[in-house]
Amino acid sequence: MSDRTLSRKMIPATKKRSQALDVWKRLRKSNSAIAGLILIFIFLCLAVFAPLIADYENDALKMNIIERLQSPGADHWFGTDEMGRDIFARIVYGTRISLFVGVISVSIALTLGGTLGAIAGYYGGKIDNIIMRTLDVLLAIPTILLAITIVAALGASILNLMIAVGISNIPGFARVVRAAVLSIKDQEFIEAARAIGSRDHTIILKHVLPNSMAPIIVFATLKVASAIMATASLSFIGLGIQPPTPEWGSMLAGGRAYIRDNMYIVLYPGLAIVLTVLSLNLIGDGLRDALDPKLK
Amino acid sequence: MKGTVLKVENLAVRYVTEDGIVQAVNGIDISVEKGSTLGLVGETGAGKTTTALSVLRLIPDPPGEVVSGKIELDGKALMELPESKMEKIRGGLVSMIFQDPMTALNPVLKVGDQIAEAIKIHQQLSQDKALQKAREMLEMVGIPGARMNEYPHQFSGGMKQRVVIAIALSCSPKLLIADEPTTALDVTIQAQVLELMKELKEKMDMAMIMITHDLGVVAEVCDNVAIMYAGRIVEQGTLEEIFNNTKHPYTEGLFLSIPNIDDRKAELKPIRGLMSDPFNLPPGCSFCDRCDYAMDKCATEKPEKVHFSPDHFVECHLYPDNKEFQLKGGKG
Repeated sequence: MSDRTLSRKMIPATKKRSQALDVWKRLRKSNSAIAGLILIFIFLCLAVFAPLIADYENDALKMNIIERLQSPGADHWFGTDEMGRDIFARIVYGTRISLFVGVISVSIALTLGGTLGAIAGYYGGKIDNIIMRTLDVLLAIPTILLAITIVAALGASILNLMIAVGISNIPGFARVVRAAVLSIKDQEFIEAARAIGSRDHTIILKHVLPNSMAPIIVFATLKVASAIMATASLSFIGLGIQPPTPEWGSMLAGGRAYIRDNMYIVLYPGLAIVLTVLSLNLIGDGLRDALDPKLK
Repeated sequence: MKGTVLKVENLAVRYVTEDGIVQAVNGIDISVEKGSTLGLVGETGAGKTTTALSVLRLIPDPPGEVVSGKIELDGKALMELPESKMEKIRGGLVSMIFQDPMTALNPVLKVGDQIAEAIKIHQQLSQDKALQKAREMLEMVGIPGARMNEYPHQFSGGMKQRVVIAIALSCSPKLLIADEPTTALDVTIQAQVLELMKELKEKMDMAMIMITHDLGVVAEVCDNVAIMYAGRIVEQGTLEEIFNNTKHPYTEGLFLSIPNIDDRKAELKPIRGLMSDPFNLPPGCSFCDRCDYAMDKCATEKPEKVHFSPDHFVECHLYPDNKEFQLKGGKG
């Protein structure tokens, strides 16, 4: 008994620290990641408080021919487009669509692709081969082309856009999750979990996936950026959000005829796309560094 | 003795790989009585861990494959049970302590949750009750209950091994398999952990299989010892019989490889050579290439079991004709 009482005294009083706090501390050191976070926070605020900033019906949708093609000024901060609609208001409401579609389509891809990847990686063998080879076929088709095909087949609407972008991202997520699962599943604590009688699905959900979160989070962040790009691209060619709904890609498409004299019509939506995608990429890169255990 | 907890008969396991077939375990018999400890001793690759994993039916398949054998745990024939029944038995009737506590715990879960997981699976308790029990288990292995909300990286190696022990014992198993539980720990912590395991084993009246290559650990905790070599048990007996009445040349070689504390200048006499290639075991005794007593027939014929007492047997050609044969450098 004596050595046990001794060992109790030897336990140092460690401070509780959570992993999320650790990651945040490292993330804070990266200026570019912070810049990205601030930018995305601004965009989020625009999306959430859009009704307080501008009137959807009157500013963003209603045609106002008298005020068409006005330059940026006190009345219209970013000017007006060819229909006399306030570009700032349209960008603010466009933020809602872009972020929403980006996040939802990535969630679709993450859920489906992640499940498939986890199953393929965990069970291996034939199951792995069947799932991954099927996804390889999908992967062989360029993402945007696949999305175009799906939207063309389903019809153009916000929901179908999200489904299309989501499905075309499934193979990528499946691969990332599978790789992460493969690196974890042979570790001893997985065997230990089996040795106490845990079932396969408990092991995958409770032991494998939480340990492979880091690459998945990074990949998902970067993919939201590319999903926003894909949404804008599809809308630009008329397969995504239909006018008059304000969407950055379709604003670009509508304004490109006036680019010579009124370049701000395409400048501001373009800037919005660039800044969102850039900020998400900065955050993704920062997270990659912050989550990398080798730097710990 | 109060009955047999584990009975393994003629167990043979092999791994089928692209390079050939590894005969990891070749027909072994083990039985463990209630409350007693069997030491499974042998060098790396002798098949100790494979034996243990086959009791839990956790041999990775493929490439592993149980060729033959009956395993009876607490009266249940394990080989015939469906996988769903096995899940109830793993961690419930039999549990296992792994070699390296650094990797046997999930780094992203709190230790309390990890202990509670086993309890929830086998005792159908609510989350709160399971956590309460987990706290008790943690205290039983000498860690303050308040630390159950910490993560494995906040514990030292010895502490982690205590947590692993707490998980293994949380459902009061009838049999505990400890796979080199002290190998990854330093010597002082080893002593603490062994002491703790011994104490808990007696408290919970469990049987235990202690897998190790450290004869010091064997002397400390075991009642019976089985010496494994190339997938066979070459000598088995009580602790006393193995240590003081060593019969097999391999067992003798193991003892001669230990530094002598009374004569620090004495040169160690290691066993020469390497263990035979498990892809290609010799037809006769697997040890004959390295044996100082090897005879002609050792290379061609498999040795039979020779009993010296009901518990003590040896598989060696030296004895069937001359039971009185004494090893040259052995003890006793």
